[in-house]
Parts: sequence; C-alpha cells; structure tokens
Amino acid sequence: MAMDVVDYEIFGDDMQYVEIELDPGEAAIGEAGAMMLMQDGIEMDTVFGDGSQQQQGGIFNKLLGAGKRLVSGESLFTTVFHNESRSKRRVAFAAPYPGKIIPVQLSEIGGTLICQKDSFLCAARGVSLGLAFQRRMGVGLFGGEGFIMQRLDGDGLVFVHAGGTLMSRDLQPGEVLRVDTGCVVAFQPSVDFDIQYIGKLKSALFSGEGLFFATLRGPGRIWVQSLPFSRLANRILASAPRAGGRQVGEGSILGSLGGLLDGDND
Amino acid sequence: MATTIDARLHGGGSPATGEPAELTIVGSHIEVRAAGQVHTIQFDEIRVREVGLNRAGIELSWDAPEGTRALQVLDAAAVHSLRDNAAFVSLPQFSVLRIQQKRHAFGRSVGWTLLGALVFLPVLALLLFLWQSERIAHAAAERISLTDEVALGDRAFKQMRDSLELEDGGPAFDAAQSLGERLTRGSKYHYRIHVARSDVVNAFALPGGIIVINAGLIDATHRPEELAGVLAHEIQHVERRHSLVAMIKNMGLRGLWLLVTGDVGGGVFGSAVLELTSLNFSRDAEAEADARGFATLVAVGIDPSGMPDFFHTLARQDGASPPPFLSTHPASAEREQKLRMSIKELGQRRFQALDYGSWPPK
Repeated sequence: MAMDVVDYEIFGDDMQYVEIELDPGEAAIGEAGAMMLMQDGIEMDTVFGDGSQQQQGGIFNKLLGAGKRLVSGESLFTTVFHNESRSKRRVAFAAPYPGKIIPVQLSEIGGTLICQKDSFLCAARGVSLGLAFQRRMGVGLFGGEGFIMQRLDGDGLVFVHAGGTLMSRDLQPGEVLRVDTGCVVAFQPSVDFDIQYIGKLKSALFSGEGLFFATLRGPGRIWVQSLPFSRLANRILASAPRAGGRQVGEGSILGSLGGLLDGDND
Repeated sequence: MATTIDARLHGGGSPATGEPAELTIVGSHIEVRAAGQVHTIQFDEIRVREVGLNRAGIELSWDAPEGTRALQVLDAAAVHSLRDNAAFVSLPQFSVLRIQQKRHAFGRSVGWTLLGALVFLPVLALLLFLWQSERIAHAAAERISLTDEVALGDRAFKQMRDSLELEDGGPAFDAAQSLGERLTRGSKYHYRIHVARSDVVNAFALPGGIIVINAGLIDATHRPEELAGVLAHEIQHVERRHSLVAMIKNMGLRGLWLLVTGDVGGGVFGSAVLELTSLNFSRDAEAEADARGFATLVAVGIDPSGMPDFFHTLARQDGASPPPFLSTHPASAEREQKLRMSIKELGQRRFQALDYGSWPPK
C-alpha cells in the first residue's frame, strides 16, 4: 500500500505537539488518546489493530495485530484520521509527557525502525506497528528496554516521542556508543543493541549507573533520550510529601518549620 | 547466473543510514552494487558478523580506502539465500560465524530454560501445596514439640489480646471454666479458657490450649449443655492440633505466594485467595472436632444434645453467612443433622441435666 506523504510542523519546546497537514484523501494514524485537535473535514475512524491493512486481512490478522499492540503496551485500537474535505486540513497529536517528538522518515533508513515500546505517537497511513521481541536474555533483562520493543515498518513518516531531550546520532561501521540503560529510544535495525558489564565492581556498586551499560554498535542511526519518563516519575514521587516523599525546601534553613511559616503546606 | 541478494551498504561514502545495495557472489569475490557504483571485494578481505536485534542478520565488512564499509543482509529471505550460497558457505569466516551462532543459540536456550524454571518452579510448588496442603501441614505439625506449640499459641494470643476485651470473671466465665475442667481432665495440654466481651457469636482455639469464647455466644445458648458442646468442639481443635495445622498452612501459603508474585502484601487478589484457602479449619477438621467433641461429652456424662441444639440456633442465623464452598465450615444445618444421627445411635441413654442456676448466666 502506498504511503501517504504528509507535511508536518512540531510546536512547543519540552511539551510538544505535532501538527500534520493532510491533503484531500490522505490519512494519518495516531496512538489512541494522542489526538489534540483537528480541523473540520477530518473524519476519525477507530480501527481494531494497527490500521495499516484496512482493506485486507481477516479477523485473525486483526486480532493478531491488536494482540501485538496490547503486548507492547499500546491500546488495542488505533485511530485513523482521514481528510474527507476538498482542501488541506490539519490534525495535531500531543505528546503525553515532557519530552521531544522526533520525525523519522522510514524510507530513508531502510523501511524499519525499532523503538522503545509505548513511544509511538503517530504516523502516515500505511505504516505498520509491530513487535520486536528481544530473544537475548541478558539484553532483555539488563538493557533497560525489556524484552518487547516496537517495530515500525513502512516507508512513510513516523513520529516517536520520548522523555527529556532526544539526540540522534549516526554511527559508522564498528563505532560503539555506551548508553545508560533505559535511554535508548530507537535505532535502525542495522545497529547492534547489546549490554556491557560496567567493568569494575566498585563502579558497579557505587557509581549509580547500575551493573550494565547498553551498547549501540554501528553502522546506523540511533536516537537517545536524556530522561526516561520512569526516572522523572521517580523523582517526582520521591519529593512528593503526600506520597511519603521528603520535602526539600527551596533553601530554607528553617527546614520543616519553614514549611509552617510559608503557608505552602500541601 | 549468480543470484543477487538485497542488502544495505553503510560506511565510506554511503549515507550514515546506509543505502540500498545488491550483493552478488561471483567465484572468489563479491560484487556490491549501490548508488550506481560497483564494489568488488575479494573473499579474504571480508569479515563476517551476526547483526540485527536478535542476531539473525549477517554483516559483511571490509576496509576500503574511503573507510570501513559494512554490508548488512537483514531481510529473512535475503539471509536465507546468502546462507544457501555454496561459495559463501565454504568461506572460513562463515564457519566461524556458524560456530558463534550455534553457541549463542545454545546459551539463549539455556538462559530461557533457566528463566522459565525460575518462574515455573514456585508456581508448581504453590500448586502442589494447594493440592496437598492438609498433608504437608500435618507432617510439619508433627515435628513441632508441645512446648513450641504452647509458645506459638501464646505469641499469637499476645498479638490478639489488644483487640480483645477479656472478661475473665463473673458467672459466665466461671461456668465456662468448670465445664472446661470437666471436659479436659487428663489432657496433656494446660487449657486456658477466656471469655471475650463481644456480641458476635463466635469462639476460637489457639495452639497449645487457649480457647476464647465470645460473651455473645454464651448469650445465644439456651442451656449449659449447649456451651459444653461448643467447648468440647473447640477443645478437640486443640487436642487434634487443628489450629497448629491451620497456622502452618496459612504461613506456607503466604510464603509461596510471596515467592510466586514477589509481593509481600499479596495484592488484593492474593489476600482474597489466602482468605478463601485459610478460612478457619478445613471441613475435615470441623467434622473431626464435632465427632470427638461429641464422644467426650458422652464420656464425661454431659448430655450431647446441646451440641446439635446449638447448631440449630446457628443454622437459623446462617442466612448471612457465605455458601458452604466459600466457608470451609460445613453449614451448621449439615453438622446438626450428623450429630442428631449420632444421638440416635446412642439409644436410650439418660444424662443428668447440668445446673448452673439461671441460664444464660448474667
């Protein structure tokens, strides 16, 4: 199925959304719940599965596709937004937490992108969402991405979202980058994703980096994030007094007494 | 005519993300066509490596004047046709790769088997325990000495004591004491019978001889024989170590549940399962306590009809209690029926009525 070529624009700094312009008859698929706004003339259609094979495929295929999405932590349904009007129309998808949205042209990287589960935001119609199952146990257990990653196939544009700042980097054949586990967002399938023992027992115990690094070995393009959402969530929870966290005042030498005085006792 | 294999060429002058290429194997060299150019590489210059998320692909790399080039064959069909190529398969680099792949596949299957066993064994142990819990708990209970049993019961009682309001004194307490003495004569346990201030019709026994009867239960009895029946029943729970077995069962279940789920609290589902499986004593234990309690009453000369009479009172209150499959307590009516049968079997035997003044004692 031919991919729809779409124009897009990304707005915002750390809490972004992407606006996609659809020509008459074009369509985009979005993760359920990601739609932020759409113009008149865009029709929304919720399909079971990933929406890539709308015309074909029996019930079994649909169930399989939906099951895959469930395993990778996505919703069972995807929503297709198609432009039924006679002129260009826009639809916007918003990121669910602070981070960056990156556009990836699949045709440019050979048609496949492997990415963190749950990182898919939206794509041109025709992109299929699948599972990349990690069979290597060490990588699955200690690589920070688990055993299940997402696989996006097609030759259109996809938008992937992850927390913090996203960096893309091109690795030459044999070039190795060591990355903190959990920070790998996406990579071209030509990249070798592996783990490496941190090296010294002292570092493993006290450096705070854990026992393993994730290693990415070229050739190919990779995307790395600065702040996995779980880390941010941990920090927020740890300093949320209501959740049992410790309140660290903003430089108040009075400590908890300061809390009484400044009236900020939530 | 040699077959062409779809691949992707990286490094050197190619874009970082690679470019589509076609690989042909000709005699003693390979030809790579990409972006209108043909690269010819001799077999002995090629290094071979497994690539891809699950190492299913093959990478051929070589050093070119413009830098290291890497040709990746990732598509399953393409990998297949490469592995089918006789000239390529005979390369020494390929046999090294094949050994490597075999070793990795072996390691992977060992790892997965171990992981599976790690997850599966506790589940198996839990199922086994659920299936044979009675036997396992009995076997464990037999290994516990009398002193340990008493200490265990004391400790459990100490924990409960804060939530209990004991009423050790007064006519109800005295009556329970004297009935208890009569029923436990000659036992190896030293019994301590307490009365708790609570309206709930309930009584329970802890390991080692502690029996707690709620005042509400005593109020619900119509004559001293009924209280004697309840006491005889609870005493048999102690004598037969039912409380100890129930405690062991509960602890074993909790321990195994922890192993399986890794969750101390057991979660909502876990605690629900535990509640269901450890509701008081098993049906068998209750039936046994009924039968032996009945025999004790007869032996010490107390009219055993108090026992089924009290169950009759209970059966009328049973409306709000869970159905029998949920409570391991057989329904009161069922138990009453059984006891009435036993009385019939006794024949015409007469018992002297117990006299504790006005009943229920206030």
